[in-house]
Amino acid sequence: MSAPTGAPSVAETIATELVERMQGQRSERFDQTHVTLPAARIREAVRHARAGGLEHLSDVMGIDWLEYPGHQGPRFTVVYNLYSLRDASRLMLRVNVDEDQPVPSITPQWTGAGFFEREVYDLFGIEFEGHPDLRKLVTPDDLDGHPLRKDFPLGETPTLFGDGRFLDPASFRAGMMGQDRGRTGWVGGARKGVRSEQGKGEGGEA
Amino acid sequence: MTTEAPGRAQVLSTEQHGDFETKLMRINVGPVHPATHGVLRLVIDMDGERIVRLKPRIGYLHTGFEKTMENRTWQQVVTYTNRMDYAHSMGHDLAYVLAAEKLLDARVPERAQRVRVLLTELNRIASHLIFLGTGLLDMGALTPFFYTMRERETIFDILEMVTGVRMNYGYFRVGGLSKDLPDGFEEAVQAFIDDFPSKLDQYQALYAKNDIWLNRVKGAGVISRETALEHALTGPSARASGVNLDFRKAKPYSGYEDYDFDVPVREEGDAHARLTMRVLEMEQSLRIVQQALNRLEPGPIRDPDRRISLPPRHELETSMEAVIFHFKLVTEGFHPPKGEVYVPTESARGELGYYLVSDGGSMPYRVKVRTPSLPNLQSLEPMCIDGMFADMIVNIATVDPVMGDVDK
Repeated sequence: MSAPTGAPSVAETIATELVERMQGQRSERFDQTHVTLPAARIREAVRHARAGGLEHLSDVMGIDWLEYPGHQGPRFTVVYNLYSLRDASRLMLRVNVDEDQPVPSITPQWTGAGFFEREVYDLFGIEFEGHPDLRKLVTPDDLDGHPLRKDFPLGETPTLFGDGRFLDPASFRAGMMGQDRGRTGWVGGARKGVRSEQGKGEGGEA
Repeated sequence: MTTEAPGRAQVLSTEQHGDFETKLMRINVGPVHPATHGVLRLVIDMDGERIVRLKPRIGYLHTGFEKTMENRTWQQVVTYTNRMDYAHSMGHDLAYVLAAEKLLDARVPERAQRVRVLLTELNRIASHLIFLGTGLLDMGALTPFFYTMRERETIFDILEMVTGVRMNYGYFRVGGLSKDLPDGFEEAVQAFIDDFPSKLDQYQALYAKNDIWLNRVKGAGVISRETALEHALTGPSARASGVNLDFRKAKPYSGYEDYDFDVPVREEGDAHARLTMRVLEMEQSLRIVQQALNRLEPGPIRDPDRRISLPPRHELETSMEAVIFHFKLVTEGFHPPKGEVYVPTESARGELGYYLVSDGGSMPYRVKVRTPSLPNLQSLEPMCIDGMFADMIVNIATVDPVMGDVDK
């Protein structure tokens, strides 16, 4: 199934063309080629990729960079995951967008993106311009907000402990991230780079 | 999730054809309906018995797995992965650990890989058995259901022997397996392999040459190769339409390139092809199970790298370093390097891949699960349009959605 030796793969060819023609920026992440494109060019790019042999749309997904250490640039990234049946090569197209900035929808030209884009819209709040049926997909109608955004509260049940200590999850998590820990008395923990200071705060037994 | 009027038939429009007046009618199927295999709701516009529009409404089983995983350590995520597709749990576990191992550059020992392949394929057979049993049940064939469930129990007995549970195994670990195989495992699997082909023939005898059944499924819910690709259909349903895509062959993982098996592909694209496809796949899975069993050799089952795997228990009493590694792994787990990976695998339903984003922390920054059932459900519309209402039931059954896999 692999390409004849020497000839560049379908994904490789298209990545090169997108960089040359559509202001794409190429990056390699764990031996996977990604091409970052301006939002306005995504329709054209997907059409070009599909015509060029990337005929299977694996996925459209969102990433929220809000809490990513050292991240600069727009808050969200939409990743289009394309695959070639011809030589089993894969290409990721990326579009970086800020909050409230819409992305052109590729659903009119590729029906398979319909559910994927609705899912991203539902869970991240990224709007897809020109989507024929842009509604929530999985969350209930009465749920405000977009759960996969990093600033969406997790909303576990607050727990009352036997000694009268009231553990509310949001402050607990804030403590884990080295921020205001509220009355939970927990600082530090799992995130890399956050020094553990458990028990050092006021009220702690030390 | 839902925006339309609750389950009551509505008259949408009225057309006059001479003396004859036809009305377009909107009806709801589900979310609680025996033929929807879970909590799937379909809003269907009908012209008499003919379907003119069909829209799936999903989300009744949305549990926010992806969000939960972002707040668990890399190893803890394995507890959640298998709860999505509860019919093919091993496939989800495998897909996740493969992606995490790629991030970590872990070296999984040969034995662990063989065991993973063996159990995943056994689980695939169990999943296809549910498909076959419930699928035929939806068409009114009651008996095969009991037989397929019987063989599924045999597989569950084997998997319970290994993992301790009948479903939602969580047996794989990033870097290997949680524990080694128990005594008597190989004999149990061999007994199943020897027994199963005759059972498959038994099922076939119940329906495969039945004229009533053949008339029911042949030519029902046809989907062409182009439409399948247009709607991102994958897995056995797509291979029944001539899409020759199986990631076990196209992008071999876990050593699938060493096994001798075929990928059946059919061109018809109808319900009959989708149904028989699963039977053919069970035969191939059985071949893989046999080969994996033959090649099982004693050896380590975990990556010896101390940054990933717990040290052996006996070392904790003599080695300070082992205690430190143990403590670090138990309290916060490992820290994969920053980066993004996507590893596609072939689950019983199609392309299943975990897209992991790591920020260098002990928890995944973002987990995106490319579940096969969600996009597969999109293909239901082109399959059903212009067909009969009764064919829609057959089409749902042959697309084989697992709602946990759809809603995540």
